[in-house]
Amino acid sequence: MTRKTSTLAAALTVLAFSFPAYAADPIKIGVLLPSSGVFAGLGGDQTLALEMGFDDFGREVAGRPIELIPADTESKPNSGLAQFKKLVFKDEVDIVVGIISSAVAGAVRDAAHNAKVPLIISNAGNNPLTGEQCSPWILRTSFSNSQIVREMGPWMAAKGYNNVFLMAFDYAAGHQMMDAFREGFVAAGGNIAGEEFPPLGETKDFGPYLAKVKAAKPDAAFVFFAGGPAIKFVKEWAAFGLKGEVTLAGAGWLNSALYVKKQGMDAEGALGILNYVPSIDTPENAAFQENFRAAHGRDGSEFGVAAYDSARLIVEALKATGGATDDKAALVAAMREVHFEGPRGPFRIDPMTNNVVQNIYIFEVQPQGDSVAAIVQDVIPDVQDPPKGCTL
Amino acid sequence: MRERDPIQLPVAGLLAVIAVAAWFGAGYFGQELLAEIAILAIFAMSLDLLVGVAGMVSLGHAGFLALGAYATAGATVFWGWPPAAALAFSVAVAGACALGVGLFAVRLGGVFFIMITLAIGQMFYAYFFKARAFGGDNGMSGTPRFDLSPLGLETGDPAVFSALMLVIAGAVYVALLLLVRSPFGMMLTAIHQNENRLASLGCPVRRYKLAAFGLGGAIAGLAGALMAQHTGFVSPDLAFWTLSGEALIIVILGGSGSLVGAAGGAAVFVMLRDHLSDGSFWEGLRLSGDIATHWQLVMGLFFIAVVLLARDGLYGRLSWLVDRVRSAWRGRGGGA
Repeated sequence: MTRKTSTLAAALTVLAFSFPAYAADPIKIGVLLPSSGVFAGLGGDQTLALEMGFDDFGREVAGRPIELIPADTESKPNSGLAQFKKLVFKDEVDIVVGIISSAVAGAVRDAAHNAKVPLIISNAGNNPLTGEQCSPWILRTSFSNSQIVREMGPWMAAKGYNNVFLMAFDYAAGHQMMDAFREGFVAAGGNIAGEEFPPLGETKDFGPYLAKVKAAKPDAAFVFFAGGPAIKFVKEWAAFGLKGEVTLAGAGWLNSALYVKKQGMDAEGALGILNYVPSIDTPENAAFQENFRAAHGRDGSEFGVAAYDSARLIVEALKATGGATDDKAALVAAMREVHFEGPRGPFRIDPMTNNVVQNIYIFEVQPQGDSVAAIVQDVIPDVQDPPKGCTL
Repeated sequence: MRERDPIQLPVAGLLAVIAVAAWFGAGYFGQELLAEIAILAIFAMSLDLLVGVAGMVSLGHAGFLALGAYATAGATVFWGWPPAAALAFSVAVAGACALGVGLFAVRLGGVFFIMITLAIGQMFYAYFFKARAFGGDNGMSGTPRFDLSPLGLETGDPAVFSALMLVIAGAVYVALLLLVRSPFGMMLTAIHQNENRLASLGCPVRRYKLAAFGLGGAIAGLAGALMAQHTGFVSPDLAFWTLSGEALIIVILGGSGSLVGAAGGAAVFVMLRDHLSDGSFWEGLRLSGDIATHWQLVMGLFFIAVVLLARDGLYGRLSWLVDRVRSAWRGRGGGA
């Protein structure tokens, strides 16, 4: 090797090492959402909103482009875990965002905790994820099951509903929702008129359960159903003549923006409690809904908003670190500092549990034009979970 | 079943060499996949004992897998048992339950056997779905892996764990091969071929089928225990009938009745799933990465092609090919 070339080589070596390694590398973000299985619809909704979020808040931070790598959980825990490992160990993503199903979240939890890669849960609401199983590496931008419904018990008791019937499918989320409602409602002096837990996936007809509601003569029923069964439940409720007799109240997915228009007038008068409804009257929400309607021809849902806010959380945290992603602990610390006014209202991450702190809205389904919409009746600001068994 | 099976051991040897090479070549993620393949291979071989050898097509085999996984999860998390003891417990529980189920199931044949195993598998699913002690539909985490620290090995390291899984899968294969070639295995094969004749010859057909069913369940329980260790997580989905269906597809894909075919089928299945669902794989083929979203469609087409073109599975085709080459060789030699 001649002297000249060796000098050149040395210079190049120095240059190579002094150049920041991340200068043009893309920031890789794994998107762990189902495109098949029972939650494929919700996965699709969140994918659209996530893409819209990165369009709005930036697809590039400090010169590094943001690259989204999709991975299909198939709505199954083991597939979700395999895909999570693929994202982290093969694609070497910097952040993972997504997860609709709580079972998938449960399967991924330990792997995420041990891999020390930030995981942002954009839907799964299982309480322990930000309770006794909380992890410094796992943040949740959506909700915990009890965060959504906890305030409904005292609210209904204050409105004079003293005798309430509970109903949800017999599965973990159903029990968590009902437990959270019951706790607040009984503490406020309410009485549980009865409760029923029909089997999930096997209940073709709510008739027998609605007959029990009718026989118990409660002031109101508080229920948790979502998706297809929610549409069916509301329609059967009206067909059974319970509408107008007994007030129907529910965890707000009962009348989700995704399908309240399919329920139509049968849903009219139903009360709900949720972290988001499309009718929230703020400029941030108006802008979000306008964009979403223009792009997809329908209202953005609470699922979409959680994904949209997740994109914003990621971009703002990356801006705070100057686009650096090598120090994952610093990245998570930056995420915990992010706060903004989103479509839902004020958004921030609770440093005690890593769960989102957010407004919770109580709404009533009212006629609007030739259809119905959820209209906000009351707002409970900055609802925060107690750190049940979580020490961060 | 063929009289002789000349390619069984060479294929097994080849698979072993590939596995070892893959283990050395694989990175962190590759070794995770390797462990998954090894465990799935154990599960598929246990089903092959029922389907391919004894002729009992079960659609509820995942029930025993789940039972093994939950037994390990429960014993380690609730009772604090060491994973090795929990593994033995899992095998015992799954085997005992399979014997209990088998008492009824082996009395039936054909489509009725399929239906009753399907129903019983779904009963396990329904039970675990509602079992709040095990986290219900959300499942339960926290199952630890074998503690090999006295040997200076850390099973949390995928390299160590996958090597261990490959060794166990190899041991299960050898044990099952010896079993199939033993007089007991010969009887099972004979029952598969003509149950009525065996019965009229005075063979206690049901007892043989029950023994096979119990043994298959016990090995599925072993696979379940290892799966719980691998993922650290159990959920009711492990018992769901689609997983039984996947195992059946693997057995048919690999070549039913060939044992090593089932193991190879598991490898093909996992690798296909991993590649087809990865956008960069399609981009590597200069196609759109969006095809990855429809990977299940591509996989379905592949299975249809296999069933149409290779009804005896990959192993069967390979065996046929070797036969053809040999007879052509012999034919030429004879003419000279």
